[in-house]
Amino acid sequence: MKKYLIMAAGAAALITGVALFADDDERYERRVYEHSKTYMQTNPQKRALNEFETTYQKECGSCHMAYQPEFLPKRSWSKMMDTLDNHFEVDATLSPNDHKTILAYLTSNAGDSKYTTKHFSRMSNSVPRDEAPLRISETPYFMKEHKGIPKRFIEQKEVKSLANCSACHTTAEKGIYSERAINIPNYGRWDD
Amino acid sequence: MKKILTVLGLSAAFSLAAPIEGYMQTLADEAKKADAGFSGFDAKRGEKIFISEHIGKKGKSISCASCHSNDLNKAGENVFTAKVIEPLSPKANKERLTDIKNVEKWLRRNFNDVYKREGTALEKGDVLTYIQNY
Repeated sequence: MKKYLIMAAGAAALITGVALFADDDERYERRVYEHSKTYMQTNPQKRALNEFETTYQKECGSCHMAYQPEFLPKRSWSKMMDTLDNHFEVDATLSPNDHKTILAYLTSNAGDSKYTTKHFSRMSNSVPRDEAPLRISETPYFMKEHKGIPKRFIEQKEVKSLANCSACHTTAEKGIYSERAINIPNYGRWDD
Repeated sequence: MKKILTVLGLSAAFSLAAPIEGYMQTLADEAKKADAGFSGFDAKRGEKIFISEHIGKKGKSISCASCHSNDLNKAGENVFTAKVIEPLSPKANKERLTDIKNVEKWLRRNFNDVYKREGTALEKGDVLTYIQNY
């Protein structure tokens, strides 16, 4: 009996969740806003994931690191989300609901959104206004920062490509890319 | 109150049957529609779908096993991004095949990635049978 009650409670919670999610757009926008407002102000290590981030982590983070939205401008994320059927030659299409959630999350936290920090948006700010790169590694600031790294470090099997941030930036998933946290496989610490 | 309990009870009863069984039935119905001679899914055919290599969307010869590994009870690694993929077999990974939305999404994407087209109901059923019985 207890088991049934737990299941019933679970089902009820699910229904409530769906009902909340299906609420009108205005409420939806406000929740994105509330999320964004606190996003960079909270200690990233302690910050609890909200539904937008959870969806982003689950859907995008299952194939590659869930890159921080601050790294690209809004126009890049819009273009990215418009071309998921051929996402770097992989099918990354989403359900309409997840698509909406992730697009809202990415654009409202993008490098040119009002919630980003100066420090975090350097990559995005280095992109010429008339360009909308899809690769973070093609932004001028990124290229400058990674210029001196020998190809063999990047192409080795533990790293594979520049897209694999956390291979060397040990705290990348927490949004911390400090030099102290760099550890290149088969090499070690990196000092500029 | 009684009414609420009944409703809750009903939704609980619904969640008792494993969702994957319902999905397999849907696929079987579709397969039968496409071919009246359909006589059930086959893990052997599913295995072939899973391990045979094809020129995929990226122009490279790959199979499902390229990323999921040949041993479904072990973790795999995304061949393009090096991201670890948890084991595909439900025996090794309890979360597998529990969320139909997720199952459908990955079948759609991965068939496109390896076969450059979506899978048929028969193919999807076969490959799921292979994974279920691994």
